Amino acid sequence: MDYWNPYTETMPRDQLDRIEFSFFKNLFSYAQSHSALYKDKLKGLDVGDLKTFADIKKVPFTYKEELRKWQENVEPFPYGGLLGVKIEEVNTFRQTSGTTGRPVYVPETYESWQWRIESWCHILWMAGFRPRHRVFLPFGYNVYVAFWEAHYAAEKLGCEVIPGGALDTKGRVNKIIELKANALTGTPTYLLNIAQEAVSMGIDPKSLGIERALGAGEPLPEATRKRIEDTYGCLMFDHIGSTETCGFAGMCEAQQGLHIVEPFFLVEMLDRETLSKEVAVGEQGVIVITPLGRRSFPVIRFNTMDVAVKGPSTCSCGRTSLKLMEIVGRVDDIRKIRGVLFSPKTVEQLIRAEFPDIVEYELVVTRKDIMDEITLRIELSPKIAKDDADQLAKKLAERHKILTNLSCKVKVEPEGALPRYDLKAKRFKDLREVH
Amino acid sequence: MLDKIRQEIKTMEESAERLKSLGVDMPAIRRNAEVILTFLYVLKFITPVVENKEG
Repeated sequence: MDYWNPYTETMPRDQLDRIEFSFFKNLFSYAQSHSALYKDKLKGLDVGDLKTFADIKKVPFTYKEELRKWQENVEPFPYGGLLGVKIEEVNTFRQTSGTTGRPVYVPETYESWQWRIESWCHILWMAGFRPRHRVFLPFGYNVYVAFWEAHYAAEKLGCEVIPGGALDTKGRVNKIIELKANALTGTPTYLLNIAQEAVSMGIDPKSLGIERALGAGEPLPEATRKRIEDTYGCLMFDHIGSTETCGFAGMCEAQQGLHIVEPFFLVEMLDRETLSKEVAVGEQGVIVITPLGRRSFPVIRFNTMDVAVKGPSTCSCGRTSLKLMEIVGRVDDIRKIRGVLFSPKTVEQLIRAEFPDIVEYELVVTRKDIMDEITLRIELSPKIAKDDADQLAKKLAERHKILTNLSCKVKVEPEGALPRYDLKAKRFKDLREVH
Repeated sequence: MLDKIRQEIKTMEESAERLKSLGVDMPAIRRNAEVILTFLYVLKFITPVVENKEG
């Protein structure tokens, strides 16, 4: 087996725990003396209070809302009380997408960035990216982090990187062909858009020669992952991360869950009700993360609000890191509709697995009087005739009802009516609050 | 093997610190030495020593 860092990737579990506990204590002390947020937040706690691994739970969680608060009207601009180094040391600005509120501004120093890139190298290596790959990166020169990490990590691995910004999707298809790119990264949505564009240009996406692709920026349900593999005739891998925490887990060749990049990150998987107990393998837990070596922006026990199924620390690849078996969704994406818990991811799974002729969709929840209504707006491949479209819509509504226990109205939209996304797709709209 | 790697990292770190001092009035020397130190920080991070017991 081929590892990026065999020493840490195959280390016995108990040794990983000890290293992470030691790193955690170092970070705790560092944050307490360098970050205004943690000087305040950790008052009354001393590193000496952390005597065993279990004592980590004495340290309070950090929430995104706190990060926002400590940046608003707090010097030094724009990072405020989150900065862990002198402002002169910061050399790159990044920010969160702002999907859930005001963006958080994230400072990177040369050191913190290289630390982050090293972590990402694990993700790319696990996904089989090697120096022979010519990696096409279809993203613009922007403030978001995901593809910058992919760019620098691919470069560090020794791949050849093709910057795919400042081109429309057609231009990107042409550039992939022109330069014979054989690896790709992108949001799952955008990878499907590229394939769709290729088809509209009369090009079979399989003929593009893409061997491997890595998804970023959005959840990648298994059905979507398989659809991308089938569409391109490639291997498709997933990873998970965020601007605040860095990319922290990736998929290996076994393609069964995501390995936490240890010991870069201490990841806790806690029960949703009390956030106090580590869940068992196979159970769903909220992901709480501490990036253990980043000093520019120390974050301790960050509650990501992401829910995942905890996996084992064993894998056919031989890695010993903890695995996340399935990303269920965000705590705040899981809604109660007509008294039933509903996850938009179920609908994505359904569409990607069973309805290949749906090229785009949007899920809208509204409230009429006291009744919640779900409308599933879909856009179909142009080859579908009207009668077939009606049949498909009927079948989709039936399958939706079976899988979610909720009925929905399916509306077939004309070609191009629904938005296309290069970055994070926003296909779920809960409009009940504004009615 | 890991011990030898760690020793080499330590030697390089001392050398890079000396280089940084020598380049105190030469921004190019100083900054390149700092960049080397950055990668040494990463190298130390990925070759941690396992403590004998918790705590």
